[in-house]
Amino acid sequence: MKASRREFLQSASAALVGLSIKGDRPIAGSFVNDSFQLGHQLRDRAAFAAPSQVVKHSVVIIGGGIAGLSAAWRLHKKGFTDFVLLEMNDQPGGNSRWGENEITAYPWAAHYVPVPGPKAVYVRELFEELGVLNNGQWEERYLCFSPQERLFLYGRWQDGIEPAIGLTAPDRDQFRELEDRIHTFRATGKFTVPMEVGFSDSTSGLDRISFADWLGAQGMNSRILHWYLNYCCRDDYGATTANTSAWAGIQYFASREPDEKGPLTWPEGNGWIVRRLLERVGTFVEPNRMVHKISPRGKRTSVLAGDTEYQADFVIFAAPTFLAPHLIEGMAPLREFEYSPWLTANLTIEQLPASYGTDPTWDSVFMDSPSLGYVDAMHQSLRTHIDRTVWTFYWALADRPPAENRQLLLSKDWNYWKEAILHDLERVHPDIRKCVSRIDIMRIGHAMARPQVGAIFSRERRNLADTQGHILFANSDLSGFSIFEEAQYRGVAAADKVLRKLSGTV
Amino acid sequence: MGLLLFITVLLIAACGLIYELIAGTLASYLLGDSVLQFSTIIGCYLFAMGIGSALSRYIDRGLAYRFVWIELLLGVIGGCSSALLFLAFAYTQGFQLLMYSLVVVIGVLVGLEIPLLMRLVRGRYHFRDVVAHVLTFDYLGALGASLLFPILLVPYLGLVRSAMLFGIVNVAVALWSTFLFAGQIGSVRALRVLCFVVLCGLGVGLAEAKHITAAAEDNIYADEIIFSRDTRYQHIVLTRFKDDIRLFLSSHLQFSSRDEYRYHEALIHPGLSAIPVPRHVLVLGGGDGLAVREILKYPQIESVTLVDLDPEMTRLFSTNPMLTELNQKSFLSPKVHIINADAFPWVDSSTDSFDFIVIDFPDPTNYSLGKLYTTTFYKAVARHLSVQGLMVVQSTSPMFARDSYWCIAETLKQAGLRTYPYHVYVPSFGEWGFVIAGHREFQLPTSLPPGLRFVSVEGLPALFQFPPDMSPLPMPPNRLNDQVLVRAYDQDWKDISH
Repeated sequence: MKASRREFLQSASAALVGLSIKGDRPIAGSFVNDSFQLGHQLRDRAAFAAPSQVVKHSVVIIGGGIAGLSAAWRLHKKGFTDFVLLEMNDQPGGNSRWGENEITAYPWAAHYVPVPGPKAVYVRELFEELGVLNNGQWEERYLCFSPQERLFLYGRWQDGIEPAIGLTAPDRDQFRELEDRIHTFRATGKFTVPMEVGFSDSTSGLDRISFADWLGAQGMNSRILHWYLNYCCRDDYGATTANTSAWAGIQYFASREPDEKGPLTWPEGNGWIVRRLLERVGTFVEPNRMVHKISPRGKRTSVLAGDTEYQADFVIFAAPTFLAPHLIEGMAPLREFEYSPWLTANLTIEQLPASYGTDPTWDSVFMDSPSLGYVDAMHQSLRTHIDRTVWTFYWALADRPPAENRQLLLSKDWNYWKEAILHDLERVHPDIRKCVSRIDIMRIGHAMARPQVGAIFSRERRNLADTQGHILFANSDLSGFSIFEEAQYRGVAAADKVLRKLSGTV
Repeated sequence: MGLLLFITVLLIAACGLIYELIAGTLASYLLGDSVLQFSTIIGCYLFAMGIGSALSRYIDRGLAYRFVWIELLLGVIGGCSSALLFLAFAYTQGFQLLMYSLVVVIGVLVGLEIPLLMRLVRGRYHFRDVVAHVLTFDYLGALGASLLFPILLVPYLGLVRSAMLFGIVNVAVALWSTFLFAGQIGSVRALRVLCFVVLCGLGVGLAEAKHITAAAEDNIYADEIIFSRDTRYQHIVLTRFKDDIRLFLSSHLQFSSRDEYRYHEALIHPGLSAIPVPRHVLVLGGGDGLAVREILKYPQIESVTLVDLDPEMTRLFSTNPMLTELNQKSFLSPKVHIINADAFPWVDSSTDSFDFIVIDFPDPTNYSLGKLYTTTFYKAVARHLSVQGLMVVQSTSPMFARDSYWCIAETLKQAGLRTYPYHVYVPSFGEWGFVIAGHREFQLPTSLPPGLRFVSVEGLPALFQFPPDMSPLPMPPNRLNDQVLVRAYDQDWKDISH
């Protein structure tokens, strides 16, 4: 609505004056990395050509995101090389894909990893190998530089994302009370990263109500507190507090140490980790290999992708689990997996907009915006003088049912989303149109698992996570939410399971 | 005849008010407190007009001749008043005295105008018409001037040229009056020539007013600005007052040529003289070439690599004769290699090793500059130190920014280096601090290059002693992910400026 009204006004005034509005840069760009066309071929049971060759491997990994690459990393590290990883897109990385232009590398989605605690053993092992963790010290140049985050509210910026100005006494009390409650939950040791470490049936009650209802039951009704918690849930889960399980809402805070100095981040976001993993296992990765059928045949499993039939002893299914029933012969449809649709955009910034007196930060968030704000790809640069950069703009479409939002995501054209993004940024940077030369937009229909009520303790989910057959599941959605550590944990755990089974049979 | 006469009244009224407004505006600009300035100036001016009116009764002969002279004087004094006041403010202590004198003189002259004019024309009209018409046009002129002044004159002409313009009007009225009252003046021709000469003089003044303003403004805002340029990275300003040249980068003072030798001798010699055989030196920052000048006092040095972000800066200090005299053409030495690059990425990617490294960056006023004061940066720099190598770091003031100074020292320590903090008094900066750091132990040098004006072997130990008001404070190190230094520096300066 707004976009078309603006266009109308622009063209009307242009007709009156005989000129287009002066001062704004022409903005180029397009949709990039669309993968829903491939996915819809599976959903719609398109006809695929019969395979013309047969390739045998002990293990076939399906999906080149963090889970699949981590499984490959684990196998390779254990000296096991008889495997192949099949990736649907031409670029591996999944939600950790990245891009690069003449200014900098930039993320397409996942852009940081919180400093891992002692229970995230595999993450720490990986980071030690990559030089991120040296003798118990986190490498400073991979920790997010000062100043990290800012929030735009009441017409100005404040340091940090948790609202700190304009709070009433009840607001403050409720923030403090939530902190106390979280502290108690943290002390139980049942909210951990990865979640399997502390997972306990005794917390299942929290998965039966929404985070919003739980907050209501605690008497927490501060509008500012609710904005903040909604922001957190949209940021990590792509859902509002009303559509998030209370267990997941609590997990967000209780699984992390409150005073950690982080997070770990890189110009290309978690794409940096993907690059390092590809340096190690890239030769096992076959891109542009969309699997279209998986048939269990006794001890061996047949995997069809393109013109090839892969025959494997074990399949690690690391792609999003919702795809599995479309691929695996005889698998019942899944009912308890829901995903949030996302839109991300990379904006080429030719000149920095005015910033109301603060130093530019890594992450900039605007209060009461439907978006999640933007992250500056040049923030981790060691340079003192920065005049051009790339911003990654994040927008979880959280306010309506996911299917409806997926429809919206695909039905609107690039210009619609470009205007929507600029409108959002204009509230904070009125001069943004003078600064941007390019906006590339990525649409992800099933971006991240949504931990809605009942998702964490879902029987369907727990069963798939515990599968003992020849097809093992490894996507982070088995945890109920999509974060790097869960994906890496599931990938490594699946690889270990395969190795145990293989050594048992030898 | 009648209308022309009354237009004359209108013009002289406008001129009078314009001079008053100019004086008031200038005083508000330069001295502040506009209420006080305008009140006192209007008061003085009206009072002086009263004096003028009173004095008019003592003039009983040659009314027209004297009226022309009054107009001439007003044109010259009023026309030049603004320029005179600007220059007086810039170059003398007597601005206010001159201002009130000018206001009084102009006021007296303006006070004389109307009574004389009324008497000049009283024979031609009824008295009541004279009073009515003259005063009507007098007030109309005032209205015109008061509208013209803020809307057109100040924005488009400026104060100096506005005064000149109205000076010309006054003189034109004088010239015009020689025709208007031709019968009542004796030596008309001489008077006309004089008017014409003054008119030309003011015309030249109007055309050249820019130079007057520029000369005055240079002196008002600081010393004379001899160079000013916005580069891609910063705003470079050079000022000169007599023999003192000062460099400002983005409005922060970098050096004063009167005492920079203290800063640069103290920056270089304690560390460099402590190195047995220094051959290769690296300077990070220091685009003025003054540190390099000190380094070149060691003949055994084979190369000096200088990394400075801004090519305009190093070009300026390589080519400007006044500046190359200051740095003794240090950038033209064949030993010196200038690299225009951002220091952190350069340090990160270079593999060269150096015997002495000088880190002389602007103070950590923001998070971008703060990156150059972190453990990560110092670790990266330390990798370039040779076995005998030492580095020295410009570390802000241990007196005015005590937290910041000791934070930098702690940061160097946390980067795994031994630290040797010292300080020096530089009059234009105050107490200033440095830290020598290295993997090895530092011992005070026992000899120094000849010809130093400040650093001496005997004086060295005192530099390394800190009196209680500058003594060490426990501070956390400055890290890329937690820049405590930028916040400390900000707080330090807030503390002393409030």
